[in-house]
Amino acid sequence: MASMEVDLAGISLRNPILSASGTFGHGVEMQHMVALDELGGLVSKTVTCQPRPGNPAPRIAETKAGFLNSIGLENRGIESYIESVLPEVESAGTVIITNIGGESVADYVAAAEALAGFDVISALEVNLSCPNVGGGRLPFSTDPKRAEEVMRAVSEVTDKPLWAKLSPNVTRIEEIACGAEAGGASAITAVNTLLGLGVDWRTGKPALATVVGGYSGIGMGPVALRCAWQCAQAVDIPVVGCGGIADAEDVLAFLAVGCHAVQVGTASFSDPGMLGRLAAEVEQLLDEAGVKDVQDVVGCMEASK
Amino acid sequence: MPAPPIDARSQNAHVLGVEPCGEDGVLLRIKPLEPAGPLRAGRFFMLRSPDDTAPAIPRPFSVYRQHDDGSIEFLIKVMGPGTRALARSSPGTELVCVGPLGNGFPEFGADVPQVMVAGGIGSAPFYMAIQQALAGSHGAKVAPEDLTLIYGGRKAGFLYDLEAFMDLGVRVLAATDDGSVGFHGNVLDCLRKQWEVENLPETVRLLTCGPEPMMEAVAHEAAVKNLECWVSLESYMGCGVGICNGCSLVTRPDGPLGEWPVAKACVDGPVFCTSAIEL
Repeated sequence: MASMEVDLAGISLRNPILSASGTFGHGVEMQHMVALDELGGLVSKTVTCQPRPGNPAPRIAETKAGFLNSIGLENRGIESYIESVLPEVESAGTVIITNIGGESVADYVAAAEALAGFDVISALEVNLSCPNVGGGRLPFSTDPKRAEEVMRAVSEVTDKPLWAKLSPNVTRIEEIACGAEAGGASAITAVNTLLGLGVDWRTGKPALATVVGGYSGIGMGPVALRCAWQCAQAVDIPVVGCGGIADAEDVLAFLAVGCHAVQVGTASFSDPGMLGRLAAEVEQLLDEAGVKDVQDVVGCMEASK
Repeated sequence: MPAPPIDARSQNAHVLGVEPCGEDGVLLRIKPLEPAGPLRAGRFFMLRSPDDTAPAIPRPFSVYRQHDDGSIEFLIKVMGPGTRALARSSPGTELVCVGPLGNGFPEFGADVPQVMVAGGIGSAPFYMAIQQALAGSHGAKVAPEDLTLIYGGRKAGFLYDLEAFMDLGVRVLAATDDGSVGFHGNVLDCLRKQWEVENLPETVRLLTCGPEPMMEAVAHEAAVKNLECWVSLESYMGCGVGICNGCSLVTRPDGPLGEWPVAKACVDGPVFCTSAIEL
């Protein structure tokens, strides 16, 4: 039986598999469908200071090899998260990462400050890269200095480890990763969704009410893998891979390019129970390959040395 | 926190049979590996064929009938790659099956007669709704004469399994746009006609499921006449369990869900009182 435990910037995870933000609710509501204690951790959907009703419908559309969404960070705001969600997640039996979002540096800082005193949260994932707010301009994840500025400002108000979630919609993601690292990030999450669009040419209607949204799912797997590799090459902090991961083979591919853990997103829509089985499937692959420790796979791709 | 129902499972189901039904429909019978308990009408499952041509995201289907052996039937209109793959399923193979999901129809009293208005494949939740109202298994027992199904479609071939509905022993009024069976016209005209000829009391409870413009028209009629009206929505869903936030509906500020501007069709519904949401 291969060892599955990983250390992620000081946080011990029982295995390297986490839910991806925005694709698994806050996680705890899935406790009757998924054995949450089989996960390395749960990443919450993005929480913002103020409540956000989200974008108009239609917000989702399936494509040939993936999924478009434009949810627009619907959430009831940080006060509601603290009052209604945090007391529930304590019983989840796994590591809790809260993803925070905002439209200004002050928004991120206020969210981090509000959550600083809650020990149930092991780390904050700073969503620098939601494509569905502010018209998809991605101000904090397309400029290394802006990424650094947000991470530095947030790190000044909390002792929690900070993960910076980056966008693939850039030319040189490694520069953004370095900016986030310089600003105090403890880990990089690579990556959020690609900007995408769908249209029905017969009716002339776009698939999403916002026209442009985020593209996720298996079609973006190789793009996300490349982004994760470039980040892992560029920074000294751990990288959490995310994008198009649908099975145990995909998990190990992200570890091979240098990720210390992964997040699974859209695949939960195909099979909401999958996250609870994935660690066992990874373990089986490792056993079949004679690998004793999942950490031995991390960075094993030859070019990544 | 909106959550999937505690009896929901993400699992596989054996296909027991697929029978053609109507012009472009099938009756799909499956048996989940872990059978569900007795299901309230209006609840649904997300189904997906493992066939590579099928979309990766399962699609929601109302439970049509539940049998004592734990098997469940779905009435499915074949529309795209996902439903085509389900219709091609062979007995003995397995499907991905997430459910049971959703709230189902609430427990109604026998205070007023019920009129169910179905458009095409929107009839699916009403077979069990009628069975359960007759039996009083969820809510009050309702006399057959107090249950009316107005079942409409463009033509006879879109009134799926019409005979089975007629065999339930309640009043079933067919309506077709081309007049090929029953009333010549749409369901709303058929409903108005019933009132006009005094075949229905003025006060009834309306339940509707079908194409959105039809449900909107029924809900509008209900509002004009100040009648209670429930809709069973067939929204496009990304997950069915409340985690994707895709199937959002606008809530009415003065309604029972008005504390938040949007509701989720999957976990807050798919059955809603029209006082709760904007159609």
